[in-house]
Amino acid sequence: MILEVKNLSKSFGNTVVFEDISFSVNKGEIVCVKGKSGEGKTTMLRCINKLETPDKGSIKINERYLCREEDNKMHYASKDELQTITQDIGLVFQSFNLFPHMTVMENLIESPMFIRKMPKEKIKQRAYELIKQLELEGKEDNYPYQLSGGQKQRVAIARACMLNPSILCFDEPTSALDESTRNQITKIIRDLAKQGIAIIIVTHDNNFVDEIAETVITLSEGNIIISKSNQP
Amino acid sequence: MESKVLEMLIPMTLEGLKTTLSVFAITIMASLPLSVAVAKIRMSKNKLISTLIGIYIYIMRGTPLLLQLMFIFFGFYYVPYIGYAFSRNQAIFIAFILNYTAYFAEIFRGGINSIDFGQYEASQVLGLSKSHTFMKIILPQVIKNVLPSIGNEVITLVKDTSLVYILGASDILKAAKSVSNAYSAFSPYIFIGLVYLAITAVLTKVLNKIEDKYNYYR
Repeated sequence: MILEVKNLSKSFGNTVVFEDISFSVNKGEIVCVKGKSGEGKTTMLRCINKLETPDKGSIKINERYLCREEDNKMHYASKDELQTITQDIGLVFQSFNLFPHMTVMENLIESPMFIRKMPKEKIKQRAYELIKQLELEGKEDNYPYQLSGGQKQRVAIARACMLNPSILCFDEPTSALDESTRNQITKIIRDLAKQGIAIIIVTHDNNFVDEIAETVITLSEGNIIISKSNQP
Repeated sequence: MESKVLEMLIPMTLEGLKTTLSVFAITIMASLPLSVAVAKIRMSKNKLISTLIGIYIYIMRGTPLLLQLMFIFFGFYYVPYIGYAFSRNQAIFIAFILNYTAYFAEIFRGGINSIDFGQYEASQVLGLSKSHTFMKIILPQVIKNVLPSIGNEVITLVKDTSLVYILGASDILKAAKSVSNAYSAFSPYIFIGLVYLAITAVLTKVLNKIEDKYNYYR
């Protein structure tokens, strides 16, 4: 098990976003999180990516706790632990959030250069591997504004993969794509899962869910329903 | 212009340029970096600190620079406990730096606020530290956004340097005034007007160059 979420709750003020949800994700599994907008899908994803702090419950990533509840008290990961957990989980934002003042290559190497004391050449080598895998060859010196929506998304995926995460999260990955880029992203996500990366996708695109999900988590009125799909 | 007027005006202008340009350069070099820090503190979650900085900015923007110069040179000595007699040059630099830092800080605050929050979130998810995020991700984008407004203030600063006359400093405007008085001629003022235009022309060029440099992305 790569990700284990137990009894997780989150509210904003008096508004309960979700309550007491539990699920787990295995290596290489593709999980889709469905639900109407406002049901807390994105908030849940943000909790796993430490952009929001849960009120209750635990999140365990690769045997390390991002947060856990003990004797009714929440314990959150220390700064050092966070740094390690960060490298284990990646997030592709809905609006990609690429750094506009940096080239594709600079976007990719910024984080590994900061986190890892590895030679720049090694990091660049990894970047070129991902550029090739994501069909971005020739774009390494381009700036984000020079790229199409699909290309930007692939850069965002490559950037999230630079630290070799075991989990990769996507927030509404198909929202800005046309039919052909959509097929391309489906293939890319499957390939990543084949490499053993666990994939969590938040989406309200039911066709996409039918196409790609192995496990479907439906958030409804703060509770969840888990169902296995017939995908291989 | 008569040659004897020029004979007196040119050396005095060159001497005055030292004052004008040093007030300009030192103010820019000190207040630009300071203002980024002040903008950050102004945006701090600590209400007390951000209010204090807010009051400082309000005073600096709400009173004439001329008055601030006078207060620091003549008035500060009489302030209980912290009173101190600044030299003329000290008073000039303190007043200009405090004043321009306040203006620049408000520009930077607007610039920092205009950056999409997604940039911070992406940095956080990628494991970048807060300081690294600010220096490498946020600030370069802020600088691009605020350059036109900063440019305006920089041009204003050139002209504001003439206010040092109130403390008796010898800048280029003072040079024109002395020569004008000596020969009962108005032409030195026109000459000095042209000098100001020349300085701002060079600065406009430089500012455009910098803006071009930051235009490599959209």
